[in-house]
Amino acid sequence: MAQTIEGQLSNGPPAVLPRDTVEVDAGLLAAFDNSPVEPEAYSSNLPSHLLDLTLTSTHHLISTLFQLPTTSTASGLMVQLPAAKTLLPREKPLPKPKPLTKWERFAKEKGISHKQRDRMVFDDERQEWVKRWGRGGKNKEVEEQWIHEVKAGEDPDHDPAASAKKARKERVAKNEAQHKANLAHATAPTSTRSISAQNSENRSKRKVELERSMLLTKTSTASLGKFDKKIEGEPKTKGVKRKFEPNVGEDWEGEKGRAMDVLKGLDGKKKREGKGEGEINVRKAVRFHTREERIKGGSSAGSKSVKGKRRS
Amino acid sequence: MSMLRTVKPKNARVKRALEKREPQLIENEKTAIFVRGQNTSQRVRDCMKDLYALKRPLAINFSHKNDVHPFDDTSSLEFFARKNDASLLITGLHSKKRPHDLVLTRMFDGRVLDMLELGVEGFRAMSDVPSVKSSLGARPLIVFHSDLFDTHPSYQLLKSFFLDIYNGHSLSELPLTSIEHVISITASPLPSSITTTSEAASQNPALIHFRVYTIKLSSSGTKIPEMQLTEMGPSIDFTIRRTKEAEDEMMKMALKRPKIDKKDVESGLGKKRKNIETDEMGDKVGRIHLDKQDLSKLQSRKMKGLKKSRG
Repeated sequence: MAQTIEGQLSNGPPAVLPRDTVEVDAGLLAAFDNSPVEPEAYSSNLPSHLLDLTLTSTHHLISTLFQLPTTSTASGLMVQLPAAKTLLPREKPLPKPKPLTKWERFAKEKGISHKQRDRMVFDDERQEWVKRWGRGGKNKEVEEQWIHEVKAGEDPDHDPAASAKKARKERVAKNEAQHKANLAHATAPTSTRSISAQNSENRSKRKVELERSMLLTKTSTASLGKFDKKIEGEPKTKGVKRKFEPNVGEDWEGEKGRAMDVLKGLDGKKKREGKGEGEINVRKAVRFHTREERIKGGSSAGSKSVKGKRRS
Repeated sequence: MSMLRTVKPKNARVKRALEKREPQLIENEKTAIFVRGQNTSQRVRDCMKDLYALKRPLAINFSHKNDVHPFDDTSSLEFFARKNDASLLITGLHSKKRPHDLVLTRMFDGRVLDMLELGVEGFRAMSDVPSVKSSLGARPLIVFHSDLFDTHPSYQLLKSFFLDIYNGHSLSELPLTSIEHVISITASPLPSSITTTSEAASQNPALIHFRVYTIKLSSSGTKIPEMQLTEMGPSIDFTIRRTKEAEDEMMKMALKRPKIDKKDVESGLGKKRKNIETDEMGDKVGRIHLDKQDLSKLQSRKMKGLKKSRG
């Protein structure tokens, strides 16, 4: 086939043009004609119909492009394209934010910023440096100005200067309270332990767990791990040592007591030690007693320095 | 995936190259890989050749056959994509069941996002049309006609695919003189036997006409120029066969847009361009600062007497 299809569109008579359904996405250099294709025109002459459709939509696209703002550069006239309207998937996910460095993490935790707040600020209106606070400071600008704007519908007794001053005082009071809270928090005994202490505790817990599971696995062989390979630093298997009472003892009371214990257990009503009614929990009593003693001693020795006091 | 070892950069050049492959805030233009399957027809090969010519220079053509079956096993496609840092794959296949088959695959994060299978029903090559072709790397305009591209899921997918392949990268500016050709994609009207939308949704009955025309612009006296279209080729008629839509979660991730200030984009996203300027000729001029030359180390005439004593 050596025939080519050509179509021409001059700007003057828009014969095939009036299709308002063309949407233009200039950012992607694309146009979408969302009206259905007419079956009659389609089946009568396909190539010319396709060309007509293309002429129309391309004309819309070109006219949009040529009306966009341009800049002239060394490489010719450049059109500034708007952002694309059609969303297309990215190739790769968004980059992850860079992990903070140790110092950055620490600074963030502690709220340290590199910039120290300046005592002086530049006043744009006066074109000079003024104090941030203090006599004639920037924070008193509103309350000290000699004239105030009164907005329509405002209470005639309303004093703008006074209200500005009140607002400032409130800010100061709030800051004071926050400062106090900070100090209190800093001096208060830390209820939560330090991270390193927690870590070491976790470590020892994990160690115990590991040893336990190791001992369990050793007993899983037929020979109860007797011929297993030894690992360096392996925990020693500690069995329960059996204890044998002498067959013939001096006192029969002990043997009697043990036999009676077994019988009591069979009864199902074995009483626990120290939990019976009327009996005293000695441990608890001693604890109470020592605490009382300590409180008394502490009040009498009140003049002692707080520094030397130990908390338990 | 496991076949690709992770490279630890040993020098700055490799490091830079690897950094370029990492996720970027502003992405580069997508590269397309054209792969032939084990069996292909002449028509599919020609079709791929022309689609490749339109996509160049951001296209890689695999000259060998590869045993790929995109809808059954995506592992080799993912391997190709990772190895070449490309996210679009166009696979040509041919079988009795699906003659003249073209599978378009899109990747996200090294994994298959979605797929679209097209049958090449009619084809006329670019070389069969005696006309002037567009120049290499010229950005095409792209136009779609039919309501199906707005309503029917398979056709929406096709629209998204062709936009992504040829015009996916949004530009901030464009030289007006660089407009050379337009890709026109039209869906045929639905046959009269299909009346309900659900029927149309279950099948993909409408043909897709893929046409490319060169644009000749001439001044009209007004701001908008006069325009003349000439067919350039290729002209391809597609049918839609199988589709694999993207998983919702993955698509959501892929459609995420970064929040960037326009000011940051203009100033090169925080990258300092120091001592580099472009002069009136459009040449890049760099300024380098050198230390003062150490004249004591200057090599003058060599004589035995001027030789440094040893030690």
